[in-house]
Amino acid sequence: VKLEAKAALTAGTQADFDTLSDMTGPEQSLPELVLPADIPGNVIVGTGTVLTGRPFRRFRSVEPDSVSIGAHCTLDHSTLAVGERGRLSIGDHCYFTSAVVLCEEEVRIGNYVVFGWNTTLSDSDFHPLDPAQRVQDAIALSPIPGGVARPPISAKPVVIEDDVWLGAAVVVLKGVTIGAGSWIEPGSVVTSNVPPRSRVAGNPGRVLGTL
Amino acid sequence: VKPLGIEQRIPGDWHDGVIPANVLLEDGAFIESSQMFQHYRSRLPKGLHLAQGAGCYEGTMFDLGPEAEVRVGRYSMLNGAWLGVDGSIVIGDYVLISWNVIIQDSLRFAMDPAARRMQLEESSRSRQRDVVPIAPVQPVTIGDKVWIGFDVCILPGVTIGEAAVVGAKSVVTADLPPYCIAAGNPARVIRSYK
Repeated sequence: VKLEAKAALTAGTQADFDTLSDMTGPEQSLPELVLPADIPGNVIVGTGTVLTGRPFRRFRSVEPDSVSIGAHCTLDHSTLAVGERGRLSIGDHCYFTSAVVLCEEEVRIGNYVVFGWNTTLSDSDFHPLDPAQRVQDAIALSPIPGGVARPPISAKPVVIEDDVWLGAAVVVLKGVTIGAGSWIEPGSVVTSNVPPRSRVAGNPGRVLGTL
Repeated sequence: VKPLGIEQRIPGDWHDGVIPANVLLEDGAFIESSQMFQHYRSRLPKGLHLAQGAGCYEGTMFDLGPEAEVRVGRYSMLNGAWLGVDGSIVIGDYVLISWNVIIQDSLRFAMDPAARRMQLEESSRSRQRDVVPIAPVQPVTIGDKVWIGFDVCILPGVTIGEAAVVGAKSVVTADLPPYCIAAGNPARVIRSYK
């Protein structure tokens, strides 16, 4: 059964790619393209945008039109883990490779933004700091159905402005705004705001200079 | 020993792909899945050379540009590293490289936002979405017996000396001497040993 599903995906790939983009170029296309049918109904995807892998495997958003991905983007084997009330917008001409975006409240990503390999961005702390509440969260998240609600988790919007470049393995934490045109060196952990056109490196990320 | 000459499938491979024809496999060299060639574009006669007993396991990615070549020495292990190469990366013998390690000889993108926009627009017009690199290519060399912990980034131009040990999550921005233990972001030599 698994083999059949795989064959169907391969067969559908080229035609679906053509509906996603009307560009001309070499005949070969990216492997493991996401089919339009696999894109959740509340996600708007612009023309010429290509998604591969399983970007919506951790997608829980229920709000209408809560997620928008602009035109001419490439999201290669990246994950958009949007929570029930999360709002995520990604601009045009963005390029993500094996990136993970965790969005519980709000994440706004501008145009021409690059996320390098294994980059992670989160607008929340994932779990509460208080141990008792964390116990409640562990129970709520467990595979045992019990109807226990998750406790409130701290979240603050993350904004990545236009033309920001994130190198490989960069981590961006909650509440951070990265100013337009900034260059974040590979392996940086960005924990506070970054002014426009800054060059950042280290853990925690420090501004090394202005471009 | 010569490159394969023809594309080869791996028996029992879960991924629907091949080992490219310009890969050279010495005796006992091992490739767990063809998935690691998903981003492989090398057109050189010998794009990837795995020496005797070199092992490449799940999660490893050979993201090689058209002019890139990689050599992995005897009995060295890549246990889920991502190699982004446009020129050359040479890994010595008996090297142990852990998971989620990133080794790049070029950052590929221009630091100037206007130039980066042109790269992104050009990429979005091609089906493969490859980015034509315009950043400088600076070869990376990893000496014999080096041990690299998980989540480490090794940046363009770095040479790591023989038997150096690099702690988990380090970012290696400059050369490391032989027989050192280094860690941190940026990585610093903590001590030497022999």
